[in-house]
Amino acid sequence: MEIDKSDGPSVTIRESERDHVNFILRDVDLSTANSIRRTMLAEVPTLAIDLVEIDVNTSVLADEFLSHRLGLIPLVSEGIENLTYSRDCTCDNYCPKCSVRLELTAKCDTDSTMNVYATDLAKFHNGSRLGDPVIRDANRRGPLICKLRKHQELRLTCIAKKGIAKEHAKWSPCAAVGFEYDPWNKLNHTSYWYENDAAEEWPRSENCEWEEVPDPYAPFDYKAKPSNYYIDVETVGNLPPNEVVLRAVETLQRKLADIAIELNKETVEASNANAGGLTTYGRNQFDDGGDSPGMGRTPYGGDGGFGGNSSWN
Amino acid sequence: MAPSKRKAVKLEEAESDEAFQDLFQHEYRGKKLTDEINTVEDKWNLLPAFLKVKGLVKQHLDSFNYFVDVDLKKIIRANELVLSDVDPEFYLKYLDIRVGHKSSSAPGTKEVILPPHECRLRDLTYSAPIYVDVEYTRGRKIIMHKDLEIGRMPVMLRSNKCILDGINEKQMARFDECPLDPGGYFVVNGTEKVILVQEQLSKNRIIVEADEKKNIVQASVTSSTHERKSKTYVITKNDKIYLKHNSISEDIPIVIVLKAAGITSDLEILQLVCGSDPQYQDLFVVNFEEAAKLEVFTQQQALNYVGKRVKTIRRAGAPKLSILQEGIEAIATTIIAHLTVADLQFREKALYIATMARRVVMTMHNPKMVDDRDYVGNKRLELAGQLMSLLFEDLFKKFNSDFKANIDKILKKPSRTSEFDALLSINIHSNNITMGLNRAISTGNWSLKRFKMERAGVTHVLSRLSYISALGMMTRISSQFEKSRKVSGPRALQPSQFGMLCTSDTPEGEACGLVKNLALMTHITTDDEEAPIRNLCFVLGCENILGIDSATLHSRGNYGIYLNGTLIGTSRFPSKFVTEFRRLRRSGKLSEFVSIYTNTHQQAVHIATDGGRICRPLIIVKNNEPMVKAEHLLRLRNGEWAFDDFLTHGLVEYLDVNEENDSLIALYEKDLDPNQAITHLEIEPFTVLGAVAGLIPYPHHNQSPRNTYQCAMGKQAIGAIAYNQFRRIDTLLYFMVYPQQPMVKTKTIELIDYDKLPAGQNATVAVMSYSGYDIEDALVLNKASIDRGFGRCQVVRKNTIQLKRYPNHTKDIVSGMRVDEDGQPIFPHQALGPDGLGEIGARVENGQVYVNKCVPTNAGESVLGHNEQTPGAESHRETPAYYKGPEPSYVDQVMMSVSDNDQALIKVLLRQTRRPELGDKFSSRHGQKGVCGIIVQQEDLPFNDDGISPDIIMNPHGFPSRMTVGKMIELISGKAGVLNGTLEYGTCFGGSKLEDMSKILVEKGFSYSGKDMLYSGITGECLQAYIFFGPIYYQKLKHMVLDKMHARARGPRAVLTRQPTEGRSRDGGLRLGEMERDCVIAYGASQLLLERLMISSDAFEVDVCNKCGLMGYNSWCTTCKSFENVIKMTIPYAAKLLFQELLSMNIAPRLKLGDVF
Repeated sequence: MEIDKSDGPSVTIRESERDHVNFILRDVDLSTANSIRRTMLAEVPTLAIDLVEIDVNTSVLADEFLSHRLGLIPLVSEGIENLTYSRDCTCDNYCPKCSVRLELTAKCDTDSTMNVYATDLAKFHNGSRLGDPVIRDANRRGPLICKLRKHQELRLTCIAKKGIAKEHAKWSPCAAVGFEYDPWNKLNHTSYWYENDAAEEWPRSENCEWEEVPDPYAPFDYKAKPSNYYIDVETVGNLPPNEVVLRAVETLQRKLADIAIELNKETVEASNANAGGLTTYGRNQFDDGGDSPGMGRTPYGGDGGFGGNSSWN
Repeated sequence: MAPSKRKAVKLEEAESDEAFQDLFQHEYRGKKLTDEINTVEDKWNLLPAFLKVKGLVKQHLDSFNYFVDVDLKKIIRANELVLSDVDPEFYLKYLDIRVGHKSSSAPGTKEVILPPHECRLRDLTYSAPIYVDVEYTRGRKIIMHKDLEIGRMPVMLRSNKCILDGINEKQMARFDECPLDPGGYFVVNGTEKVILVQEQLSKNRIIVEADEKKNIVQASVTSSTHERKSKTYVITKNDKIYLKHNSISEDIPIVIVLKAAGITSDLEILQLVCGSDPQYQDLFVVNFEEAAKLEVFTQQQALNYVGKRVKTIRRAGAPKLSILQEGIEAIATTIIAHLTVADLQFREKALYIATMARRVVMTMHNPKMVDDRDYVGNKRLELAGQLMSLLFEDLFKKFNSDFKANIDKILKKPSRTSEFDALLSINIHSNNITMGLNRAISTGNWSLKRFKMERAGVTHVLSRLSYISALGMMTRISSQFEKSRKVSGPRALQPSQFGMLCTSDTPEGEACGLVKNLALMTHITTDDEEAPIRNLCFVLGCENILGIDSATLHSRGNYGIYLNGTLIGTSRFPSKFVTEFRRLRRSGKLSEFVSIYTNTHQQAVHIATDGGRICRPLIIVKNNEPMVKAEHLLRLRNGEWAFDDFLTHGLVEYLDVNEENDSLIALYEKDLDPNQAITHLEIEPFTVLGAVAGLIPYPHHNQSPRNTYQCAMGKQAIGAIAYNQFRRIDTLLYFMVYPQQPMVKTKTIELIDYDKLPAGQNATVAVMSYSGYDIEDALVLNKASIDRGFGRCQVVRKNTIQLKRYPNHTKDIVSGMRVDEDGQPIFPHQALGPDGLGEIGARVENGQVYVNKCVPTNAGESVLGHNEQTPGAESHRETPAYYKGPEPSYVDQVMMSVSDNDQALIKVLLRQTRRPELGDKFSSRHGQKGVCGIIVQQEDLPFNDDGISPDIIMNPHGFPSRMTVGKMIELISGKAGVLNGTLEYGTCFGGSKLEDMSKILVEKGFSYSGKDMLYSGITGECLQAYIFFGPIYYQKLKHMVLDKMHARARGPRAVLTRQPTEGRSRDGGLRLGEMERDCVIAYGASQLLLERLMISSDAFEVDVCNKCGLMGYNSWCTTCKSFENVIKMTIPYAAKLLFQELLSMNIAPRLKLGDVF
């Protein structure tokens, strides 16, 4: 491929906030950029309530209803790498290694309606912020779970587990991932629908400023490939946006690494056989997070920066 | 958090909530208090004001109120005396009747009756006692007795006898009632029953019809009185006119009838029928000839002629009448029975018959003078009150005759130990009225003995699928017309339905056009008193018909004045008369529902006071200016005025269909043309639609059948049902977990509170093809949306268990759960608590028990029999209620109560929460339904540059043939609303303008067309085409795969035929039917045929005797008495059964066996 005219992909960060980052990804293939987008949406592991043990529920909402609501509450997932998937854990059901326990007890004793918020979820102390509900509203109460009338009561235990959004959208770290390339439509990937004049009828993208205005008389370059991607990641708050991007990249790498290992299986097997006959290739070798062998080889660096262009705050 | 601190926080929260509500209220109905008033735009505010007083089901309530307050008293007065055949001294007289309160209590107070919701839960009837005051003789004394209960009357919810009448929302909540529930139905034995509005041809009116092929003209009138119903015809036969009646054996020449009615002069007859018009006279003269031929000249002769032909139905005991008397009787009571004849003064009736004859002559002369049966002005709607009144009178008569029979029996006895008190025997029958009313409402069979009327299907169970389905049912009108007949006339949309009946809401299929719905702003009249109106007419210069010379009756310019179809007088200044009459009505001097209109063709002014006419309010226009001005609307908005003030101030009036036809109504203010004498102005054009069709945004852009389809589908949408939905225990209820009010609302939606109890969600829709799993209207759903709660619903099902008592003092019990060796409950009892009832919240799987009911083993035995228990034998046998279903349920509620007959009643509510799956049905509000064809991961779905991906992808092929442009506009308005943070309106003939919406889109950086550039989620490449993308309100319909999926390998068989059972509920097999069989034969796969039709079905081995051809058993032929020649063969059991059945009919089918090869 002829992408390699420059010194590899680059990233320009245009905007960065607590739950949101906007950057330009340059000099990568469309498929790579889209893979990152897809992975961010669906395959970054986070923490979400997966199991609800209900002791008392005299609220108006049915148990399943309540459980569904609880599941959708974003929980702080920084440090999720220290948690194993419940299915891979050695424990019977769940344990502190693969889950976070949250408890909710609320009872309304007053005549007015009582609101139960995510802040009312009491986490079993685990020494980190992992599993705390994400609070972003001005009153610092978090999402509303349920309303209680006098004498109604809620008493339940929630088990939050690690998971990915492929399984259920509650594990998605992203609210939306904006994605755009070629704002001038130089590549003619799309054909404008218009009645009289396309240029007049179609609102121009803000990203047009970041690219050269095309010469209307220039001949169409049929060999051109998209190279600049304007990506806007908005998270639900459980992971900071830089983490989302990094972990997405990491997940992607790991998947590729799995393929590479599978292809090298014979050599690995041979070498393992030499070592003592035990093969431990495959997934669980990397499941313990940060210090996986994949990390060292990231071209973007594992230390939280994008090619050193900026730092995250 | 410390509890006290939390409490404070909560209180604060509640306050801020209310403040928010207030803020919302000010802006409600689209206007702030300070906004300027504009008559053109704001006159629609009359509509909410109208609905506030009238409500959507007001017609039912008014009718019921009229029945209990007025009609009951009339019935009592008509049947007030009960006399004895034995004792002439005895009498019992009804003085008064009341429902729901005693005479001692102050008027308006209501006796405390069980609240309706308790009746629903406990399977009781929501009813109030009927009290009568009576006066009767006991021995020589006359005794008054007050407040005698003669039965219980089912009470219509929200009527003035209902405890919910006039109470506020908070009190309503205390009764577990939904404040938005419309009422208008009954609760009988725990089920909600609606008496549908019945449409009929109007009573006591002349209808002229012509059959041009057979050259027949007929004028008919259906006379309906409290006593009987009969139909009188005036018809032509060979150009001669006759009178026809069911109880007269042959048609009587019209001249003879008129002579019998006292008009003996031929000249007068001619004047009454034809006036001075020579053409009419020519047509009519032949009739005199006929009378002359029959030699009938005098009234006596005529009466004899009629009397001879009367079919006499003698009641036992009645004296025999002479022929002349029969004739007099026929003219006085049988013919045109609704006109009462006093002192043998027949003139009024004669004039009525003459009028009928005149109408016939007019139609003979000009066939266009016929009446249209389908014209809404010729229709009357029969409501719950009228039907109840018919039923009650029948039951009351039965009650009185039973009572009479009873006292006669006692009075007949020569000597009595004590003085006879009639009250003691009146109570015996009080159950008859209660039961009669209950039975009629709960079965829907209205059988009235006196009219020999037998009507089935009058009542229906109120559909509680969603709020809108319940509401839609209350406005439904069913026609008496037969569904099976293939006629287009009564089914067609009549122009006169405009504004009265919804133009869109009718079912498809056989009932199409016969079942209709009321439009939004309609009212159905109740009966008004005739006598004051009659007097008023005479005051206004109408000349009494009895004083008019026959010669001037039909003179040119002399208009007949008809009150409820009867000629009461004439006027030479009809327009002045009508104007004056209207002026009085507008000033509130007479009922606003009395209608008056001129018919110039018939030279008649018709006044109608009868009940059942549909009418609607319109703004009066005077001198080309609408009477409703900004100041009035301001008063309305400030709450100084209510709708009735507009009526009493003569700004708005009700017009019925007939009067509407005599008015010139401007649709918009801009149509007020000074060159035309415009009389009225429409309040709002969108009121041509009903409540259900009012949900559709931009319906005026849709192809009309699509709106009709949506009307049917809107009733199947899952949503919120009522505020008390979680307190209800219905057979089957569906709730949506997160219902949303539509982004694109209509004014109707706000008026009927659909925004408070919605049934659907605003889905982001991309109109494009995706994956090929979207053909034939299938939808592609986003998995992440479903995960987040899109289309999620709850299904709750009621299971009722009754614990019976048996005559031998044993009764059913609920026994506890059983445990295994480890102390754990056995598998079927896992959902049970120690009390043997399902635990709340417990999961019930297929085959598990939710109520462990036990029946006594000796239930059939008598008390005296084997009293001693066999030692060791169980006294009860388990007959548990098992849960059956492919998916587990959860116990939602368990109710224990005592029903009417003192038996314990257990209701278990089982709940399922369902997320949308493949095959679940969805629909937009434009009659575009589709099933879910595939569920796609969010990352695979297309997205726009903001990262928004659709919830639903709809195939664009749904548009061209359906032409639902309204759906497209809904999308654009919805998209503009989303971007702008507003709710947009798609009200019929109005709503947010497309141009404005496009402007908003452009402002927000989108294309005005609603199309977006999307990227493929799979490749990341942008899509070649631009995609129509935005929110559309989608409804989830009740048809879900889970309720329908069915497959079977082996399973149950029917006992009789041994073939597999039929139907999903019986775990039946899938039929290889006749046509499939044909295919298999054609293909030549005979072995498959054998396998499907016999081996896998009902193969049976029989012993056939090869000699006699009959079947034996055990290799023995019973006919031949031998083992010889008996051969075993396999045939379908059904065939064997057929042979045996034939044998039982003395037909011997013999099997002849031969070698195949």
